[in-house]
Amino acid sequence: MTESDAHPGDALQLLLDERLTPERRASVEAHLLGCARCHRELDALRRVRMAVRERLPDHEVPPALSARVAAALAQDPVTTADRSSRLVRLRWVAALGLSAAAVAVLAIALTRSGGRDPIAQAAHDFSGLESGRIALQVETADPQALARYFHGRIPFAVRVFDFGGMGYRLRGGGVHRIAGRAGALFAYEDAAGQWVVCQMFPGTLSELAIGVGAEEREHDGIRFRIYRSAGLTLVFWQEGSILCVLAADGDVEAAIQLAYAKAE
Amino acid sequence: MRYDDPDERRRQFETIALPCMRALYNTALRLTADAHDAEDGVQETYLRAFRTFDNFTPGTNAKAWLFTILYSVVINRHRRARREEGPWPVEELEARYRLLVEPPEGDLAEVEPSSVPLSTEVEAALRAVPEVFRTAVILVDVQELSYEEAARTLGCPIGTVQSRLFRGRRLLFAALAEYARRAGFLRSVQP
Repeated sequence: MTESDAHPGDALQLLLDERLTPERRASVEAHLLGCARCHRELDALRRVRMAVRERLPDHEVPPALSARVAAALAQDPVTTADRSSRLVRLRWVAALGLSAAAVAVLAIALTRSGGRDPIAQAAHDFSGLESGRIALQVETADPQALARYFHGRIPFAVRVFDFGGMGYRLRGGGVHRIAGRAGALFAYEDAAGQWVVCQMFPGTLSELAIGVGAEEREHDGIRFRIYRSAGLTLVFWQEGSILCVLAADGDVEAAIQLAYAKAE
Repeated sequence: MRYDDPDERRRQFETIALPCMRALYNTALRLTADAHDAEDGVQETYLRAFRTFDNFTPGTNAKAWLFTILYSVVINRHRRARREEGPWPVEELEARYRLLVEPPEGDLAEVEPSSVPLSTEVEAALRAVPEVFRTAVILVDVQELSYEEAARTLGCPIGTVQSRLFRGRRLLFAALAEYARRAGFLRSVQP
């Protein structure tokens, strides 16, 4: 056996990546004690791994790509297929003995809520965005740019609110489904890291349950429905056939005033 | 996992898959060397992943799952589109590597310890490595997948990942050394 044959070769890499058995590791380390060549090779492998891990630039995702992905998912036929299968499941419920009337009520409820109550989902979306669990499709501080993004992607005119004068900077937004309906979502953050999340989607105030914690107010001729739960305030109002909701934590009256300022 | 509610399915998918977009985009960019190809590849990856989301096992590595789809989408499309060629032939890089780890007697041509490569040099050097070896380096060293996850992504045995990674790292080292030599950190070593 020549000296070259005895070099551990790619076992050096396995040593670096900690994939050797203790016996093989001891053998390679023993070889390294007397072989300058393998020392240099191990050093080279270590340097290159470090260079790639620490020096390679991390490119930002272009905002247009996030938007393209969101739009592609929203239009994907798999959603239609899922909805069809849900109807099939409803028929099974009927077959299992529920009355036709009960099935009709259930079907109407699903159609109206999309399987989730808008109040619960608005709260869920707020916590998801605040925690970073839900990503913004488009990141921009320019309300006009975000409004242009929604144009053609949302089947109604979207008015992106500008809360700059109230200390909230737009973070971005995206097309978002709420209660089974495609709508527009936009998020803001103030200097203290407090979030405000607004959504616009087809719907009416009358579909919202009036339960514990709900409050009705009127301001400048516009009716507002306010829900408070676990420190979060949700303010709903109607603009034509579109339901708007503003979600914010912290000061309840401040959140309501934000909604008053933007409602039309 | 089967989701009965399409809205919940969509929400779960977005929660699991969208945070990986940056890693996917960066990887696609390095595999294709073209921003438009990378964007197309990422979009197609998300669509395919969304359609097959029921096959994803919650709690497993979502990034590895998405890379498997990305690799299939980007690499197959890219290979069909064109055969790329790096700035240096593989044989030249390999000869250079041999000289670096086993220099002629009395000619210790080493990269100076202070010569930390610029990020642009690492990017360019990585691009100089042929795609089959570069992919192994990206998956294991950049995206920190295990050998097993990389093997599943590439659809090959672990031993193949190991050998591609070893060769990729060697070629990358030689390419980095060439950039260091040009920047004056390394004495000329001609193969």
